[in-house]
Amino acid sequence: MTDPYKILNISPNALDEEVKKAYRELAKKYHPDKYADSPLAEKASEKMKEINAAYETIMKDRKEGNNYSSSYGSRSQRQPSYNNYQGSQYSAGESPTAFSYIRSLIMNRKYKEAENLLTKISSTDRNGEWYYLMGIVCFNKGHLEEANNYLETACRIDPYNLEYNEFYHKVKNSRKGKYRGGYDFDEENVCCNCSDCDCCDLAVYGVCVECLCGVCRHFS
Amino acid sequence: MFGYLQPYREELKIREFELYKSVYCGLCRQMGKDYGIFARMTLSYDCTLLAMFWFSLRNEEYCVNKGHCVFNPLKKCMLCEGKGEALSFAGAVSVIMSYYKIIDTIHDSGFFKRTLAYMIKPILKSSYKKAAKRYPEISTLTEKLLLEQSEAEKSNASVDKAAEPTAKMISSLCGIMSNGKTDNKVLEVFGYFLGRWIYLMDAADDLEKDIKNNNFNPFKEKHKGDISETMIYCNEVLNLTSSQLILAYDLLEIQEYKPILDNVIYQGLAMQQKRCLFDKYKKTAKGMKQ
Repeated sequence: MTDPYKILNISPNALDEEVKKAYRELAKKYHPDKYADSPLAEKASEKMKEINAAYETIMKDRKEGNNYSSSYGSRSQRQPSYNNYQGSQYSAGESPTAFSYIRSLIMNRKYKEAENLLTKISSTDRNGEWYYLMGIVCFNKGHLEEANNYLETACRIDPYNLEYNEFYHKVKNSRKGKYRGGYDFDEENVCCNCSDCDCCDLAVYGVCVECLCGVCRHFS
Repeated sequence: MFGYLQPYREELKIREFELYKSVYCGLCRQMGKDYGIFARMTLSYDCTLLAMFWFSLRNEEYCVNKGHCVFNPLKKCMLCEGKGEALSFAGAVSVIMSYYKIIDTIHDSGFFKRTLAYMIKPILKSSYKKAAKRYPEISTLTEKLLLEQSEAEKSNASVDKAAEPTAKMISSLCGIMSNGKTDNKVLEVFGYFLGRWIYLMDAADDLEKDIKNNNFNPFKEKHKGDISETMIYCNEVLNLTSSQLILAYDLLEIQEYKPILDNVIYQGLAMQQKRCLFDKYKKTAKGMKQ
């Protein structure tokens, strides 16, 4: 295995708390839920396994090779909580549906086959679940707007279905820019409302420049 | 379509910005050496970024030396020089795509743009030939892109289908950058969503103009008269795209130039959205009030 400290991006001298913090941040970054139905779900899962293995190795080495006080010792024995993810979103439906086989194809990442079968289903049989599963296959191949529309329809047909709403809610949050790298139009800092000065044209995005305007007004 | 992949300069450290400029200037110099002096006309921020990705993903060596600007010999600048293909590859992409864009303009545009394109074409032709000889795969990909793009526009494609040709092209370009060391699949997915983002950003930026000139635009269908409402929709489409782009970016093993590339991906894209979809219309409204 590559140096586990390098995988977690920390120094070998990092304290236990720092190791755990680094692990939590990486686990959040590569959490399987974020990559569910993404074409990179498998890669992210491999990365997650690598991170989990690095964390376990470090903690095991420290436990065996060091004499920590009891307060450190008890904390460092906590098991990593992201170890046993198994794509639980599909376990929500207990009884088999007409789409069970298609769902199993999706679980095994056979999205093209799933899509082929879905398109063959007649329009009279296209219920909420059909739209939801079409949303998933479109999402996986990068047709995000089609996916969004299918998911929206699924939630309109079955407004109380938790499974459909969970995925659609994630998509809606992404659309609103509620993640690192998105532009959140609603959260934009409202600049001062003066129309006379051009301070708002200064390249200081995201910072309210009211105080600067106070200066401008004073001098003009 | 060029010019949307920029860093958010206000958040770059000065030494990072200087390094970024050195790649830009180094690319300009290398393009002149490889493909002739007129190749430099096609220089862009996007291809500077491409060069940095290549350096980073292939772990190619480079050095930064003092030099003089090619256009203004009195101006000193720092020039990045690569030991491998990064700058030549990025330069070829720039020249080839610009040349095909000129041909496209000749076929599809009005009188004035067409005349201008006719004048520029012979100037770029020899640069194009040199670049296409060295990297024939880029030429093939670009030709395919333009053909598929034209078909999509004729069939009044949806947002997803209209962006597909550019998405697939950039995906293939990124695939070329991998040489077995970096994960090919991650690069291709990253390239796909980057291409999609570039195409849709360009479409959103051009929407008003396309409505006026009755040109194809995938966002026209959603437009009901209020441009600011449509821009909110375009922002959502771009956000969803960049969210998937970032998931792929996070899986790339970026070492060299990481702060600059992080800045472009995590901040630069969002700032372009803000600038082109919202600030542009605020300025117009402010201008009209006065």
